[in-house]
Amino acid sequence: HLPRQIEYRATRQDGMLVPANPYLHTEIPKWLVVYSKGAREHDHKLKWDLFRLNEIEVFDAMLMRLHKQELEQIVMSYEGYRSALIREIERRKKENQVPSQSLALPQ
Amino acid sequence: DLTRSPEEVFDILGKLGEGSYGSVYKALHKESGQVLAIKQVPVDTDLQEIIKEISIMQQCDSVYIVKYYGSYFKNTDLWIVMEYCGAGSVSDIMRLRNKTLTEEEIATILYDALKGLEYLHSRRKIHRDIKAGNILLNTEGHAKLADFGVAGQLTDTMAKRNTVIGTPYWMAPEVIQEIGYDCVADIWSLGITALEMAEGKPPYGDIHPMRAIFMIPTKPPPSFRNPDKWSPEFIDFVSKCLVKNPEQRVSAAELMQHEFIQNAKPREVLHKMINDAKEIQAAQNSIITNGDDSDGDDDVDHGSTMKKTDDSTMKSSSGTLNKSESGTVVVNSEASTLVESDLGTLVINEDSEDDSTMKRHDTGTEGKEKYRPAYLDHFEKKEQDKVAPPRAQPQLAPPMKHVTPPHHSQRSFIDGDFDFLRNLSYEELESRLSDLDPEMEREIDELRARYQAKRQPILDAIDAKKKRQNNF
Ligand SMILES: Nc1ncnc2c1ncn2[C@@H]1O[C@H](COP(=O)(O)OP(=O)(O)OP(=O)(O)O)[C@@H](O)[C@H]1O
Ligand SMILES: [Mg+2]
Repeated sequence: HLPRQIEYRATRQDGMLVPANPYLHTEIPKWLVVYSKGAREHDHKLKWDLFRLNEIEVFDAMLMRLHKQELEQIVMSYEGYRSALIREIERRKKENQVPSQSLALPQ
Repeated sequence: DLTRSPEEVFDILGKLGEGSYGSVYKALHKESGQVLAIKQVPVDTDLQEIIKEISIMQQCDSVYIVKYYGSYFKNTDLWIVMEYCGAGSVSDIMRLRNKTLTEEEIATILYDALKGLEYLHSRRKIHRDIKAGNILLNTEGHAKLADFGVAGQLTDTMAKRNTVIGTPYWMAPEVIQEIGYDCVADIWSLGITALEMAEGKPPYGDIHPMRAIFMIPTKPPPSFRNPDKWSPEFIDFVSKCLVKNPEQRVSAAELMQHEFIQNAKPREVLHKMINDAKEIQAAQNSIITNGDDSDGDDDVDHGSTMKKTDDSTMKSSSGTLNKSESGTVVVNSEASTLVESDLGTLVINEDSEDDSTMKRHDTGTEGKEKYRPAYLDHFEKKEQDKVAPPRAQPQLAPPMKHVTPPHHSQRSFIDGDFDFLRNLSYEELESRLSDLDPEMEREIDELRARYQAKRQPILDAIDAKKKRQNNF
């Protein structure tokens, strides 16, 4: 497993050429999470144009954050599966005393 | 000259390569006899990215930065005219010779690259795409930084323009984490590039890019696979670049003082490598000229007499260029505006040094760009790659496997209970392990498709609002 990410908190954010994602720690409204996972056929019921422009842009940024979160979940779950597989393969190799150089394992 | 079309001014001599935005050609400036490189970019790709590249390139005047001479905007193509670097990129040279670089060669190249970064950073410009593929060499062995498609600069509008683009393997941890970043992000990428030159590929280069994206910020800084092969000075140099906390990372100016760089040999040490590469290139091209077409690499050429490639590229470019005589717009250093004529909405003033280089008149939110995280750019780049004609695949690049049919049955691993593995045969275990990346890739693709669909109505609403605002 990978360790948790460490964030180096910006002590000098103001001097930065490229500022942090402004929505990195904003709370994402429940309904938007539901929308992001919901069946497509209901999507048309949401009338985005009733929001102000800058509100919609924030929702868009939040959706991208959700995307990244889900991506991380996928990658991490494969990471766990991958190490379990490798562990089991190693265990079998020991058990059956298969010479290790006869096995080229992908990373 | 402004009234003349580019093909009156230049002779295209041959194709040099292909990138994510378009193709690069070797060209002759008829009047002066000077050899140049011209990047031709179809403008249906992201015009704003290209404009950025131009405006940043033309503000740079350093022997360590590829020079920009001007641009022609013609029909569907933008022609970006720049300095020709006859030996190609460092990754071209590695690919041609199928050989990594020696420590001596690396030091000499890093010296120039650091000079280039020192220049950019002193002007508060971040390059943002430092890698062996973007360090070009001329035939004398001068190394120059290229490709500012993604470079950034501090201005008032920049504060909002926290767009992140880059190739994941070279990206600094803070860039991936979206916590804000600075010029020293390039120093991280330079450290990765040093490893790339020494080992042929960047760290994690052979694992899936989406895995790499989450590993770079979480794992300790990468280092040499085989430290015994390298001097303590080189190892120390790389470890100074690859400090995870950007606040503790050294600057380009400080690295210039590093022993490894101070002891770099003059550029003559690069001549053998450059000549080798040139010979291999010539040999490959003579095979092509003699009609043996089977070499997949035939669209890259750095020599000067490649009949076959010349003909075919000439045909395709004149095909688009002869469509219409009108609508040629010129961008160059002083003369000053580029207008997207069909819409009349985008005006770029090139005459000032500051943030007024980019103004979008069709938006209510002046110059404001949406926030876009790094991984999305990677996705979209990949999407483009699928559409674009296949480019010469560097043998040293990470191998991308494509792709076994999915087993839909593996979801049980999500809950983290792996006891079921004990009941599988050894062969089954191995085949599951080798199917892991293709399956992950498929899931990632599905995820992207879902979010694209979910974002579309939002993007449409944003567009509609902006149009309406514009009409008042
Ligand atoms: N000024 C130049 N002189 C000589 N060759 C060049 C020059 N610029 C580019 N090339 C060649 O053309 C190739 C394509 O360049 P381009 O910048 O379009 O894409 P890239 O660097 O490969 O990828 P990316 O678009 O991701 O930066 C380069 O790899 C290089 O071989
Ligand atoms: Mg390039």
